[in-house]
Amino acid sequence: MAASPDTLWYKDAIIYQLHVRTFCDSNGDGIGDFPGLTQKLDYLQELGVNAIWLLPFFPSPLRDDGYDISDYTAVHPSYGRLEDFKAFLAAAHDRGMRIIIELVLNHTSDQHSWFQESRSSRENPKRDWYVWSETDNRYPGVRIIFVDTEMSNWAWDPLSKSYYWHRFFNHQPDLNYDNPAVFEAMWNVMKFWLEMGVDGFRLDAVPYLVEREGTSCENLPETHAIIRELRRRVDQEYPGKMLLAEANQWPSDVCSYFGDSNEFHMAFHFPLMPRMFMSVQLEDRKPIVEILEQTPQIPDSCQWCLFLRNHDELTLEMVTDIERDYMYDEYAKDKGMRLNLGIRRRLSPMMDNDRWRIQLLNGMLMSMPGTPIIYYGDEIGMGDNVYLGDRNGVRTPMQWNGGWNAGFSGADPERLYSPLISNPVYGYQAINVESQRRSQHSLLSWTRRIIHVRKSSRVLSRGSIEFLKPSNHRVLAYVRQLGDEKILVVNNLSKSAQAVELDLRQYKGSIPIEMFGGNLFPRIGDLYYLLTLGPYQFFWFRLRRI
Amino acid sequence: METSLVEETFLDDNFLRQLMSVGEVDLLVGIPSHNNAKTISQTVLTIEESFQQNFVRDRVVIVNVDGGSRDGTCDLVLNTPSPKSQNSRGLSSLRTLHRITTRYAGQPSRGAAFRAILTAADLLRAKACAIILPETSNFTAAWVKSLLQPAYREDFDFVAPLYSRHKNDGLLARNLLYPMGRAVFGRRIRELNSGEFGFSGRLAGHCLNLDVWREESVRTSPEAWMAVTAISSGFRCCQSFLGPKVHSLSSGTDIVTAVRQTVGTLFWCLESQQSFWMEGTGSESVPTFGPEHELTSEPVRVNRKRIFDLFLSGAGELSGVLKSILVPETHAELQRIATDDDRKFRYKDELWVRTLCEFAASYHHAAIDRDHLIQALVPLYRGRIFSFLQEHHDSSPEDIEAHSENLCLEFERQKPYLIERWKAK
Repeated sequence: MAASPDTLWYKDAIIYQLHVRTFCDSNGDGIGDFPGLTQKLDYLQELGVNAIWLLPFFPSPLRDDGYDISDYTAVHPSYGRLEDFKAFLAAAHDRGMRIIIELVLNHTSDQHSWFQESRSSRENPKRDWYVWSETDNRYPGVRIIFVDTEMSNWAWDPLSKSYYWHRFFNHQPDLNYDNPAVFEAMWNVMKFWLEMGVDGFRLDAVPYLVEREGTSCENLPETHAIIRELRRRVDQEYPGKMLLAEANQWPSDVCSYFGDSNEFHMAFHFPLMPRMFMSVQLEDRKPIVEILEQTPQIPDSCQWCLFLRNHDELTLEMVTDIERDYMYDEYAKDKGMRLNLGIRRRLSPMMDNDRWRIQLLNGMLMSMPGTPIIYYGDEIGMGDNVYLGDRNGVRTPMQWNGGWNAGFSGADPERLYSPLISNPVYGYQAINVESQRRSQHSLLSWTRRIIHVRKSSRVLSRGSIEFLKPSNHRVLAYVRQLGDEKILVVNNLSKSAQAVELDLRQYKGSIPIEMFGGNLFPRIGDLYYLLTLGPYQFFWFRLRRI
Repeated sequence: METSLVEETFLDDNFLRQLMSVGEVDLLVGIPSHNNAKTISQTVLTIEESFQQNFVRDRVVIVNVDGGSRDGTCDLVLNTPSPKSQNSRGLSSLRTLHRITTRYAGQPSRGAAFRAILTAADLLRAKACAIILPETSNFTAAWVKSLLQPAYREDFDFVAPLYSRHKNDGLLARNLLYPMGRAVFGRRIRELNSGEFGFSGRLAGHCLNLDVWREESVRTSPEAWMAVTAISSGFRCCQSFLGPKVHSLSSGTDIVTAVRQTVGTLFWCLESQQSFWMEGTGSESVPTFGPEHELTSEPVRVNRKRIFDLFLSGAGELSGVLKSILVPETHAELQRIATDDDRKFRYKDELWVRTLCEFAASYHHAAIDRDHLIQALVPLYRGRIFSFLQEHHDSSPEDIEAHSENLCLEFERQKPYLIERWKAK
């Protein structure tokens, strides 16, 4: 089954995010690799995902989980060879799956040959490929992103006796996009992978490409110009390929990255994610409705990317101080769960392993406007290990079964790149794919089901949204519409049963058909439509005029 | 508890629907209203300001219960826009801030409004509640916190307010309600009959289920009744300082009505709670948040000559009625001081307390129609007030406070006399 030729394929995608290292080890060295991942493609196909987003798999000193790249056009030897990647890509395409890979535009590892040349002498032709300065006083006031580890955006290089600019870790020097040669080098990187057949790039740390004195050095017009030129070349030479922006910004700022359909195809909706968690804990739809009503319209060909959890901490940069304190107190009581301005936990432990709450959040993820991303292991409710450093607690090996190393690797357990989750609640003996495959009522089976239902209609992936605002604020209800097709979504955010009266009079005469079971509900009439929902229950109704 | 709710039908469907939508709350602020369009919007916004400042994570609701306003009060409660959001991103509070409103049938009655507010508190399982009057023109966000916090965080059940007052303000409380209530019920709560107060959900549920809501005293002055009920039923009581209180011009209640409502309720409480207060002696202080009392220099204008003239005419016209209420010695002494020149006139503490004890006992024995009895007290109260104003024209706050304490002690000293008269056939 080949991938669909539809150029808007990313709108209908169900994206599965994984790191090759974490998924399956084929050669017994304790580290996941491409041949192992290729073996597991049938599982992903069975789950229903139709796109895979791979975290960085390039050669790297791995001081930032691969986001410190030292060679953009090769595969890290731990994960296999380039041929292994090509084989994986072909196998995925055979199953109708698209492959999205990382492109870290903003910075390289300090071990990258470009930086090594740049620092070697002030006369080196690559000297100007990075942002150097004689002082650390330039660009004052620009915020520090990794506040837990970095004191400044400048780092001293003892070799060339000057400072270099870095927005992330000090071993990740920022590239200098004022130098056209840098842009061309990166375009060559993109061409390398596009020629091979990858379907899209997730562009990391987009807002920080260009620096200008007297600004925040974020979201500058010059940065947008770079993106527009990349997009122009992609559209011209590789039509149908997709660019996804990682811009952890407020919606109004992120929207500018869609441009006039001439920058990114997709962007993450960062502010929505913490508010979904907030709403469930508060039992109040206000945070979700408020942020979505503030989200500007985006061009028709563009799409938001929605997620619950990912490989990073649950970022709390795009919330108010009051909201952040609330999130910390409710979801990260143990200070060890906090990192930078965020929470390093997985979905299931954050929901206290409450199946209903996990399902509700996934139900919202799958029914709000945008393309959903599932973080590997969340489909079975994997746990985390907050005692591992940095964000490694949410990057533990995939739990395939209850046997040796959870079926992840044949290596000695001590050799694994990371310890497995082994506690009695979330450990691989309790939570694993094999046991959940056996039960049609498991979280895995349920996830498969909801993906199937989501894919049964383009309304959920492409339709508009209109919020209903019933007086019961514990109920979040909205109608998605595409052409004449309409889907009513009703979510009970509360831990207790709720009654809600919905004003559906504009849909008078329609019959709500519950999409999971196919059952008919009473026809909508002139009166408010009364629904009762159990704790954390949600309904998806197709509204049909019969 | 459930039986009384089921039996009653005063809860209309629309109100019930609104309550269902709000669901369980932590905090509830009730606003009884009647034609308060001029001040209601500010009242609502000030309460919400307090919610956002002090209770940002808590589930809150404002419940307006209206007595048939024709000036759009209820619409203003629901539709007054909240101020622009707190930050540049347009994000405001964490939670939905609920406002609901309902009207009760019949004549405006504070008791009917309270009953609906208590019902809402009970059904919504509010942990702490407060009543705020829209007439109070200097009401601040800090008041809401001061009234809610002790019930919400400190586990108190009744939170009486304390105000900063001028020495000529709050005379009914200073000369009658506080000292008599303190002596009879044994708790030193200064404002037994204030429009603003806080209470717990527990107390709300308890009061709601007492079969008193058709009593005239509860309908007209439920505040005092709730305070006495809290004391007599063993709920934890405290006081919380709010600062100065300024009444809006439209809120003035004439002295006859004020005495009829508050003293009538106090006497009715004596009647209904006699098994509680007969036994005790002395009084206990209650925990107080903030200063215990404070006098302001903001003057309150009083027409002393008119007060004295009304005392003289009332005492004369009602002499026959007073004779049937008071014992002969007390009546004779009153007649005697009424002949004094206004410069010499003094209605001393001992006589004032004795007068009140005999009025209360006569109320108990229903010697005459109880409403007439309370009305007969009005001219005597005027005489007492005139005496107080004369005596304390130049007194310092400390002198006033010392005198108030003496009056309280006189009440406590004469409590056995009250019991004696109460039990007399």
